[in-house]
Amino acid sequence: MNDLYAAIIHDVKNQLAELSLRLGARSDAQVEMGIAMSAARRLSEMLLLHRQDSDQLSVNSDSVDPVGFLAILAAEYRELFPNIHIEVNTDQAPPFAFFDDALMRMALGNAIHNACRCAHSTVKLVAYQQDKMLVLEVSDDGPGYSDSLLQDSGAKPSAVSGHGTGLGLYLARKIAELHHLEEQHGSVALSNSGGAVFRMVLP
Amino acid sequence: MASSLSEKWVLVIDDLEGMRSQLRMSLTSSGFAKLHLSSGIKDALERMAVNRYDIILCDYSLGDSTNGQQFLEYLRTHDLIAHNTIFIMITAEQAYEKVVAAAECAPDDYLLKPFTSAQFDMRLEKLLARQGHFSGIDVAADEQNWTKVIAECDRKLAVKDKYFIDLCKIKSSALLAANRSQEAADLYLEILSMRPIGWAKLGLARAYAKLGKKEEAQELLREILADTPQYMAAYDLLGTLLEQSGDKHAALDVLQKAREISPGTMSRIRELSSIAVSAGKPELAETVMREALLKHKYSPVRQANDYAVLSKALVHQGKASEALSVVADGKKSFTDEHSSVVFSVSESVAHHAAGSLELAEAALEQAMSGGDLNQLSAQAVVSLADACFVLGKEEEGTKLLRHVVQNNQGDDAIHAKVHDVLTAAGKDATEASEMIEDCNKEVILLNNDGVRKAEAGQLAEAIELLCEAADRLPNNMQIVSNAALVIALDLSRNGKDPDKFGKCVHYRSLLINKSPNHPKLVQIDGLLQKLA
Repeated sequence: MNDLYAAIIHDVKNQLAELSLRLGARSDAQVEMGIAMSAARRLSEMLLLHRQDSDQLSVNSDSVDPVGFLAILAAEYRELFPNIHIEVNTDQAPPFAFFDDALMRMALGNAIHNACRCAHSTVKLVAYQQDKMLVLEVSDDGPGYSDSLLQDSGAKPSAVSGHGTGLGLYLARKIAELHHLEEQHGSVALSNSGGAVFRMVLP
Repeated sequence: MASSLSEKWVLVIDDLEGMRSQLRMSLTSSGFAKLHLSSGIKDALERMAVNRYDIILCDYSLGDSTNGQQFLEYLRTHDLIAHNTIFIMITAEQAYEKVVAAAECAPDDYLLKPFTSAQFDMRLEKLLARQGHFSGIDVAADEQNWTKVIAECDRKLAVKDKYFIDLCKIKSSALLAANRSQEAADLYLEILSMRPIGWAKLGLARAYAKLGKKEEAQELLREILADTPQYMAAYDLLGTLLEQSGDKHAALDVLQKAREISPGTMSRIRELSSIAVSAGKPELAETVMREALLKHKYSPVRQANDYAVLSKALVHQGKASEALSVVADGKKSFTDEHSSVVFSVSESVAHHAAGSLELAEAALEQAMSGGDLNQLSAQAVVSLADACFVLGKEEEGTKLLRHVVQNNQGDDAIHAKVHDVLTAAGKDATEASEMIEDCNKEVILLNNDGVRKAEAGQLAEAIELLCEAADRLPNNMQIVSNAALVIALDLSRNGKDPDKFGKCVHYRSLLINKSPNHPKLVQIDGLLQKLA
């Protein structure tokens, strides 16, 4: 992608975002607002991916409160998917963790978006600590990941599923890997357990 | 939360009408009632001068002039924004890193476009909870009462909650501000043992620099930049340290590299162009400063001195008449007394370069007629001295520089500028350093003499000596604090005297303004309390 394309995408993204805000102000267009917003977010991801390709993406880790972090994400997606019940469980979460708030928001937001689309009725967000690693988990009660996606785990951006999850997954893995503490890097794991389970593990 | 929100004052700054009305709608539906909208920073500053805002929402991109980050830097460095005011930057993804990497002067939060109103509400709720939690600390920080800030942080740090690292950050910078650099370094190291966070490394570098460990500081800064080339504050500090160590070319390289990544704030442009002039690269200084002044045309982030630096860069290239027109341009924006001295100095040097010696003399005389040196910034006095040397008035120039050195004891940056003027006037580097050292010694001897007299019971002589020095050097806290202390001692021994008491209170207030945590304050206040 060259810079001209990036600039055009950026422009279209802003127009979609404005459209979404205007739709949001109307009481009869909440679903349409969701569509426009999600299109704008997809473009944001593409731009971020572009930065990753040109080696411009860098991680600025700082202290983040995982409880507030997941609460904000949940509120955002409840607005977009009013029919899905989004549960948050942060009972076992540490009081503070270290990661790049904006990048992780993007990575996890995408996973939540996919979960909400595939879920039957419920999406669960969980944060907890395991072996000194922070685990952020998104699970749904839908049909689960396809076999090919489970094997691939988003290693390539081309592994696009029927719903277009490939790009988001690829980006999530990149963002996870960029988070490191000395030699230990973050990772993403996909599994099926009563639905799809997306697990982000951070050092 | 709606009831408390309706009491909060909110300022929205965005150059786009559409975005402003969207935000207004969003904020109103969230329950905010006291809203002001600004289309640019000039209007925003006028509003901020008469109203105290709890929340400021500012778009990063504000048309083609000063951007949101530069505006925030201006607010923080000029103490125009209370610590408890929530500043939220709204950015698109390209600017995101520029905002986040500006850790020294970071907004309280940033919203990445696009965002939904639910997301916005939740973020605000979180920030308002934080605002409530930190209000005591913020008030103490506004008063620059660092001892209180540190004590409040310690109290809250006992609970290792979600604010733990935030509190560590505030506490460590308060330790730095209170000149408790070793403790600050220890705390930064403790944070870094948990996680190598950028701001903690930068803070540690700052602490090392204050502790005189300049090598370690530089090494750490280079490490930060290798990891995160967008970390602009690290370039600035590294540039300053290199300049102070006399390596102007290395300093220039670092600041140039920073400029390639982001043209940056006016303070970096200022630093870069004044180093370029003294390193014999006036063309570079001219390019950089011209570009910046064009970009920030009509913006309050400019200073009179920016025109003075550009004018000097032009004089060094033999373009005296252009220099004079730059000064004339600057005079349109800055009409205060301090600025007029700065401009007269520039005119004098430019006229001299153009061969108009009479005009040069007249302009210098105009600049010198300002009277009280202590009404001028240290930078202005240094420039005045420089002009004296250029016009062959070595005696006056030397006298001014002595004053600057003694009135800014221990300020390496100012001393480096004095050194520049002396070498530009033809002294060799060693001679210049010795002159500065002699000035330092003289004022230390004077101080010690006063203290010894007081200890020997010659209070009247001590008071006379130290008060004369304190009136001459009101920015030298060692002298000022001892002047206040000997008067307080005299009052406690010899009884009340309204004149002396007034003088003591005057010196004490100078001390509190400049250095609210000065160790002598306790002694002074102890003696004064006994009088009551």
